[in-house]
Amino acid sequence: MTTATTDLDRPATPPAFQEISPGRKFRNRLATVLVTGAFLVAMVPLVWVIWTVLAKGLHRVLNADWWQKSFGGLTSRNPGGGVYHAIYGTLLQGLLCAVIAVPIAIMVAVYLVEYGRRSRLAKAVTFTVDILSGVPSIVAALFLYALWVTTLGLPRSAFAVSLALVLLMIPVVVRTTEELLKIVPDELREASYALGIPKWKTIVKIVLPTAMSGIITGVMLALARVMGETAPVLVLVGYNQFINYDPFQGNMASLPLLMNSERLTTNAIGEARVWGAAVTLVLIITVFNLLGSLLSRLTAIKTK
Amino acid sequence: MKINRHASVLGAVLAAGALVLSACGSDNNTAGGSTSGAGAPAPTGTAQVDCGGKKALTAEGSTAQKGAMEAFIAAYGQKCQGYQLAYNPTGSGNGVKNFTGGQVDFGGSDSALKKDKGEVDAAAKRCKGNPAWNLPLVFGPVAIVYNNKDAQELTLTGELAAKIFSGAITDWSDPAIAAANGGKALPAKKITVVFRADESGTTDNFQKYLSAAGKGAWTKDAGKKFNGGVGQGAQGSAGVADAVAAGDGAIAYAEWSYAQDKNLAMAKIDSGSGPVELNAQTAGVAIQSAKVKGTGNDLELDLKSLYSSNTPGAYPLVLATYEIVCSKGYDADTAKAVKAFLTVAATDAQGQLQEAGYVPLPNQFQSKLLTAIQAIS
Repeated sequence: MTTATTDLDRPATPPAFQEISPGRKFRNRLATVLVTGAFLVAMVPLVWVIWTVLAKGLHRVLNADWWQKSFGGLTSRNPGGGVYHAIYGTLLQGLLCAVIAVPIAIMVAVYLVEYGRRSRLAKAVTFTVDILSGVPSIVAALFLYALWVTTLGLPRSAFAVSLALVLLMIPVVVRTTEELLKIVPDELREASYALGIPKWKTIVKIVLPTAMSGIITGVMLALARVMGETAPVLVLVGYNQFINYDPFQGNMASLPLLMNSERLTTNAIGEARVWGAAVTLVLIITVFNLLGSLLSRLTAIKTK
Repeated sequence: MKINRHASVLGAVLAAGALVLSACGSDNNTAGGSTSGAGAPAPTGTAQVDCGGKKALTAEGSTAQKGAMEAFIAAYGQKCQGYQLAYNPTGSGNGVKNFTGGQVDFGGSDSALKKDKGEVDAAAKRCKGNPAWNLPLVFGPVAIVYNNKDAQELTLTGELAAKIFSGAITDWSDPAIAAANGGKALPAKKITVVFRADESGTTDNFQKYLSAAGKGAWTKDAGKKFNGGVGQGAQGSAGVADAVAAGDGAIAYAEWSYAQDKNLAMAKIDSGSGPVELNAQTAGVAIQSAKVKGTGNDLELDLKSLYSSNTPGAYPLVLATYEIVCSKGYDADTAKAVKAFLTVAATDAQGQLQEAGYVPLPNQFQSKLLTAIQAIS
């Protein structure tokens, strides 16, 4: 009880404004400088890469032929032509991959969050997904080569590439969807149950729509990621300078594969093709990212 | 309501995607007017080509053939409207592997199928029990490229090249180099040998040349890996050409087209009948002196006779690259298209080869090849 008296001598609250000590000011400045510096350092390679890619490739892209034609029938010494064949390949492989991967991944996430909470199977699935997300793309590609070509004896094709991309895309989408479903408030589910609505209907009509905008963003980001993957196209399909519309047969170009293939052309024409394809790939991925955020805005739940 | 909204957004995305994917692209580049290069020499004979069969052929293999294949594909598309071939330049090893694995219609390789590696048997299995043929369709000279400001011109003998690429001669001022160049000694400068770090048929052929023409100075093995034991590696012929262009004092071997593209200085070769510079004519003379060691329509070449010849005016360092095809065992569609493609390649397309860094086929070889191509079924 001796302390009680000293407590009474002190003001109940410290004064609101205190002179900031020079030490704190200094630490504040130091932190500001460090944080800004780190930001600038992080920006250097980014700006540099974008600048180099644009400076070397932009002139090739600003040409209608570039978007409408292939390199069909052109040699390394013929200028002209375009990358339509590769754009088609990149988009088709990404789309096929998404069509297969997204439903599976969303259903896995629904199971993990809604049904399997803390069950042994759910833990095993989470663990597997974590491992799968750490698998390098070349391993996924070689696995699929062993399965598709060596074991099943099927020819290399764009579809095989899509399947390898599925392996890379599923863990990413499962992870994001799982996190998004977790943050859907339990009150919404409970309100729905209280109205006598079955669980599956609650998930389809309440939980998923609430999380939909985030899920779409996640899917778009994952798609943008897998479309730039190089290892699967190198292993599982051959380059084709012509347009091939059939994903199950024959060689099909894609932008990363085109860059890898044209790199063998050492003259200025080959260089322009490689840089032009790089600009195109960066552009497409940027568009996908923008589309992702646009869609998520359009599908967002209106909160008054 | 919300579900409907999502569905409509998704529908819109799918529709947009479908629109992008189905919008008509075109393979037709002739409007650009560049496929039939003006000023190209007249084709060495056009042929009656029976177009038809499989629309899109696939082939894979040697990077050394890339430029020639592009010319062949362009000519094939002109001769047989709407017919294509996709050539994937991933290296001779992959070409043979994917041919024997049945992934491509024919393979391109810098060396003939090897019996002791089981390639001949694997290929026979792929061709449903029929032998595969090695058809030497593309001849690409290999240039000994160098970068030395003090040497505008350089003449090497096979022996000298063998010594340089095995590390026995390490300086440009070496008296042996001076002796081969009319006694004019170069200023002292270290020789940097650049070699292909990846496995390559070019390396294989170059080392075969060194052992055939080196008069015993090359004691190392041949093979797809460089065994000289000196210098620095570079990835692919493009990497080698870049390294030579960048390094003063460097010397390397690369296909003619790469040397042309990078404007590299090329050494003349003296096989005992005077210095011979590399051009289509001198390389053509050398090819004519080569002998076939395969039997029947298998046209595997005896490279030793080519590399060790001292025919006057011949540039002997020529890389013969093969198309590896099934003699029989294709389905009818594929056989027809393969025959049409190879016929165009051996005839109409020959005129465009020189500007791509290759040597047009000498007549003697052309007729042999056409006989073999006609026999494919």
